[in-house]
Amino acid sequence: MGIIEGEKKAFMTGNEAVAWAALVAGAEIMYGYPITPQNEIMQYWTRLAPKHGRKFLQTEDELSAGFTTIGGVLTGKRAFTATAGPGNVLMQEPMSMAEAMRIPTVVVVQQRGGPSTATVIYSQQEVTLTCFGGNGEGLRVVYSTSSHQELYDYTIKAFNTAWKYRFPTFVLADGYQAKMRESLVLYDPEERGIEMVPTEPFVGKPGMPGEDRPPAHLRNTYNIEEELEEVLKKDIQEYEQMAPEIIEYDEFNTDGADVLVIAHGVVFRSAAMAVRKLADEGLKVGYFRPITLRPFPQEQLRQAAAKAKQLMVVESAYGQLLKLVKDNLYGMDLPIHTHLRPGVGVTPEEVVADLRTVLEGRED
Amino acid sequence: MNPEELPKRVLEAYIGEYASGKSENAVNRALELARLGRKVTLVDLDLVEPCYTLRPLKRKLGEEGVTVLAWDTGEMIGLGETGNILKPEVRFCLRHPGDVILDIGYGSFGAQVLNLVEGAAEEQELKIYAVINIARPMTGTVADIVDHVRSLGRVDGLINNSHLGEDTDLDFIKQGALIVKEAAAILGLPVIATSVMEELAPSLGKTDWYGHPVRVIKRYLPQAFW
Repeated sequence: MGIIEGEKKAFMTGNEAVAWAALVAGAEIMYGYPITPQNEIMQYWTRLAPKHGRKFLQTEDELSAGFTTIGGVLTGKRAFTATAGPGNVLMQEPMSMAEAMRIPTVVVVQQRGGPSTATVIYSQQEVTLTCFGGNGEGLRVVYSTSSHQELYDYTIKAFNTAWKYRFPTFVLADGYQAKMRESLVLYDPEERGIEMVPTEPFVGKPGMPGEDRPPAHLRNTYNIEEELEEVLKKDIQEYEQMAPEIIEYDEFNTDGADVLVIAHGVVFRSAAMAVRKLADEGLKVGYFRPITLRPFPQEQLRQAAAKAKQLMVVESAYGQLLKLVKDNLYGMDLPIHTHLRPGVGVTPEEVVADLRTVLEGRED
Repeated sequence: MNPEELPKRVLEAYIGEYASGKSENAVNRALELARLGRKVTLVDLDLVEPCYTLRPLKRKLGEEGVTVLAWDTGEMIGLGETGNILKPEVRFCLRHPGDVILDIGYGSFGAQVLNLVEGAAEEQELKIYAVINIARPMTGTVADIVDHVRSLGRVDGLINNSHLGEDTDLDFIKQGALIVKEAAAILGLPVIATSVMEELAPSLGKTDWYGHPVRVIKRYLPQAFW
């Protein structure tokens, strides 16, 4: 019998939605260290876990939470952790190792203000860190959610992406999504035809290594340059091969847009409301939303941008999405306007006002 | 509500599951009493949650005649990281004349935080109400509600606050009213009210399907994020 019978409407916070999603996705253990605004993921998981035979370990910090998550996965457990802000900074060391060893870890990030401890409240300032943190090439998957339903859906999906492709996978949300309350539909993945990718241990497998099976040789250290390059080339090739299969995005009204708004996460909601309002007035505005920030929907954005006259990037950071956008549009000659509010929420009214300024040619 | 039915002093504490609607019910109750011309003090006893508390509403509620005992957000230190320090005047809130409504946070082990309030244990008139929303998955069934309420310590009555935010309909509230009524019967507690958001209240009247008084809720907390 499933944990949730049929489809169940519920009213909850985003943090709780994550805990429920991990539960129905069959996560066996969460490792974690408390930090606002993700605390209720842990708090709720520790309430749910004992009722369903799942486990929890509170570690001494986020370095340890990340490494123990890797340890759990190595033994074949569907394991995850959650963090935010300075915790996400510490998390990058273990996630680099997960990248190096191709360990299917799942990390949920509820962004808070930065740099450093900053605020416990909200931001979109962990985009660069989550996409490219660590001393590697950013071979990881980052889903940016914008609602409680998406937090639920993408947390389930993150386990499957991680275990299918064996790259560390992140669900990137923020303090608003963590704490807001809204309704969503809970379901068991099976009932929607979503099959959970089976897990398997990486170490301690049966049989004689080298005879019955290849040895489990998990490495994050190499002796010579060429040895490293060979491994990275293969990983990068597999990452690029995977990308088209998992890239997700959303777009609206992109044909001949005078302004194409680009936003992600919870800010996308404000941006979309603003765009739809102006579109209803007959103005030529559209939006493009990357759902996967890593890998980025490059071709799709380039196609949308090619049909637009100008772009406007909106985010609660000082140019982190903007950097991704510029990188992915390299060589295209389009004016980019910005609405950048590091560490502060963005309302639809602000975006409407800025869009009107741009549309009326009152801005640079 | 008939003002004559009210006791001389209304002293009520609202407790319950995380995000069950404690603050919203406390705020609306305080305003309802203030509109009857009563002197009302609303007390923030949430020592954990940095979001959705009374702080951001303090001024607005003050303008509507409710005295709010809560920190100003700018006075807080370590917001959300360290728990909240009890504002000294909160300790003596029951000594305020008139009605006192207490909003108790989720992380405070139910009614236990009342230990910090002078006179709470001795005050005969103080009623503790558990706010229940069946859309909260851990209080979705009769059995879950019974377990939950028993974990809270002393409780004097239940309030059916079942809703799905903007997606609420009357059927859902009715479903909640029935489940809460059944849980209350097992617990031997009265159902004090069914809370209904103002958009849906006109189609319900003064009592719900089972004779519980209806309280009309105007949603203030969505404006009280920080």
